[in-house]
Amino acid sequence: MSSGASHHTSQHPKQVALQSLDPRVNRLGIPSELSDFAPKPLQDEWEPYEVFWRERPGEQPVHVGTVRAPDPEMALVFAKENYCRRGQTYSLWVVRTADIHTFHPAEIDIFETAPGKMYREPDAYKVVQKILRLKRGRQHDQEAKSTS
Amino acid sequence: MYGNLSLVEPLNGVEQENPEKLAEFEERISRGEKIEPTDWMPREYRRQVLRLVEQHAHSEIIGALPEGTWITRAPGFKRKLALMAKVQDEVGHAQLLYSAAETLGKPREFMINDLLSGKAKYSNVFNYPALTWADTAIIAWLVDAGAIINQTLNSKGSYGPYTRALERICKEEAFHLKYGYDNVVTLASGTKRQRQMLQEALNRWWKPIMHFFGPPDAVSVHSEKLMRWKVKMASNDEMRQMFLDAYVPRIWELGLNIPDPNLRKDPETGKWEYSDPDWDEFWRVINGNGPCNRERLAVRRMADELGAWVRRALLKPERQYVAPLF
Amino acid sequence: MRPGSGIVPAVKDLLYRMADDALILGHRHSEWTGLGPVLEEDIAFSSIAQDKIGHAYALYQLLHELGEPEPDRIAFFRDAPQFRCCHLVEYPNGGYDFSLMRHFLYDVAEQCRYHLLESSRYEPLAQLARKVRGEIKYHVFHATQWVLHLGARGTEESHQRMQQALEQVFPLALGIFEPTEYDDLLAAASIFPGERPLQDRWLETIVPLIEQATLRLPALEAVVPAYGGRCGIHTEYLQPLLDEMGEVIRSEPEAEW
Repeated sequence: MSSGASHHTSQHPKQVALQSLDPRVNRLGIPSELSDFAPKPLQDEWEPYEVFWRERPGEQPVHVGTVRAPDPEMALVFAKENYCRRGQTYSLWVVRTADIHTFHPAEIDIFETAPGKMYREPDAYKVVQKILRLKRGRQHDQEAKSTS
Repeated sequence: MYGNLSLVEPLNGVEQENPEKLAEFEERISRGEKIEPTDWMPREYRRQVLRLVEQHAHSEIIGALPEGTWITRAPGFKRKLALMAKVQDEVGHAQLLYSAAETLGKPREFMINDLLSGKAKYSNVFNYPALTWADTAIIAWLVDAGAIINQTLNSKGSYGPYTRALERICKEEAFHLKYGYDNVVTLASGTKRQRQMLQEALNRWWKPIMHFFGPPDAVSVHSEKLMRWKVKMASNDEMRQMFLDAYVPRIWELGLNIPDPNLRKDPETGKWEYSDPDWDEFWRVINGNGPCNRERLAVRRMADELGAWVRRALLKPERQYVAPLF
Repeated sequence: MRPGSGIVPAVKDLLYRMADDALILGHRHSEWTGLGPVLEEDIAFSSIAQDKIGHAYALYQLLHELGEPEPDRIAFFRDAPQFRCCHLVEYPNGGYDFSLMRHFLYDVAEQCRYHLLESSRYEPLAQLARKVRGEIKYHVFHATQWVLHLGARGTEESHQRMQQALEQVFPLALGIFEPTEYDDLLAAASIFPGERPLQDRWLETIVPLIEQATLRLPALEAVVPAYGGRCGIHTEYLQPLLDEMGEVIRSEPEAEW
């Protein structure tokens, strides 16, 4: 039975291996001459998935970051240890970044609310004052009635 | 862990930016607002933040190697598990930081290419070898302490994705620091050989630690604009002083000697004085000629090469590149 | 279980086999930390390594309660002949194909073993089995996803590598179930039903998954299981691993580290 390790060393049979203080590195059998560098292609690191995490039931899930993964199953595997290796987790969601829809950054002014829409805000309703006025009015009426 | 942010490059072309937009941008930052990836930003801001975050990411992934040297030899269950968790965290930090950097328009692949080709810089401190177990203790305590000072300051910076990544990172670094301190204190209160091993490790690491925050302010490129943009949050000397203030007394308390006869706090200025930590060496190492630069690069290339078939197996070549949202 | 009763050596042997497997495999897995094929996987796999070493610690702790030395002493100071791990866990990592296939075949066995142990009459082990259930479930999920992906959803290259790894690892994995002199005793005492029933359950579980991964399992009759580990006969790789693992702690055996 040949060991799994044999395939690295056999790739560089003639070169002297790099000597490291790290025994793991010595086992990799890295040639002492720096190998030629072939740049990675753009798709090499898989595509991004956004990770949403909920600590405990009753809470909002929050966006916690990204993982690069080949598909949703692997994205979940990665998200678990990349974002949940400490503390508590109740649920974890992943979604392809490319599947997230948003407004174009140039359209950000779409969120600007024009003034004059106060009817949607609680502060626009001064109920207490009205009640006071109402009470005062009623008192007035009663006083008028009793004096007449 | 990260240092060396100090290597500020001169700013170019800021005067060519639209003055109104630039003023609005600077106004936002001075109000304490964060800048998000899709916001308008000066080209120079984008370039400088990208360089900073990218170098930080590289430092994390390379930073896994010196301590990784001892991962198979950690003495006892507690240390074995803790060291594994710590090195794992460093890789996790790289993962977070590459994502944060990608939001500025550079794909992770290209960043890693720049690291592997030797073009990109990373923290000098990781180009030194971890000769003994005690070196890992010193790294986990003092290098991480330096990193925490740096990262805590940067987490108050202006670029949203970077500050969010740093908040997460700082929480984890707190464990690293405590683990390192416990490790150092254990060795310091151990046998004669353990104490000697620790002292020798401190002797070896003192210089790289003094280099950690970068060259003195007097010779550093003027970084006033980067401070105003909250890209750089404190000067190199300020950070070095913060570090010395917090850690020199603790090192002395353990009965260790710091290998600098001139190290003292001036009672009048309240500032630490120290010998010149050999800035020529700093420049030699950053330019690729440190004791471990070649090995670090060779190992990263090998790791990338060994994993290439795994990545290749699950590629979808037809997909368009999309940057993460972060 | 009363100390001193005849069953104790049998329980200890079972605990040693499980603990040594977990320690050595966790140690091998940990070698990937910082060197994995992608950052995300580097992190995911390191957690599995940590869990394994954690399980080993818990098992050594049970041994300690049965009168054996402290976990650090047992793990870091014994030599190969005293170890009871199977050969599967001893081999160097090699490529990621070998590591993943070993992880898959081992963890499915581990899941089956702990599942059987949940109803063990040896209560401390039954408790531990319930405690590690979630972690092992994750390990199996992780391993299965990878084997399915690289086997069935990858490239010709990855399929070929996984097939080769399977052929390499399968005889080693059968060594997990090496029969021991204690099997009958443990079964009779309702502590553990034995290695043979475990192997049967394991095969039932892996066969459909390997099929789904479009890989071919070597015929059981055609391979020689890698036995020996359970009686202290090991591969050439174990002693150097132990020397390395113990290098620091053995340099000052009485010191606190």
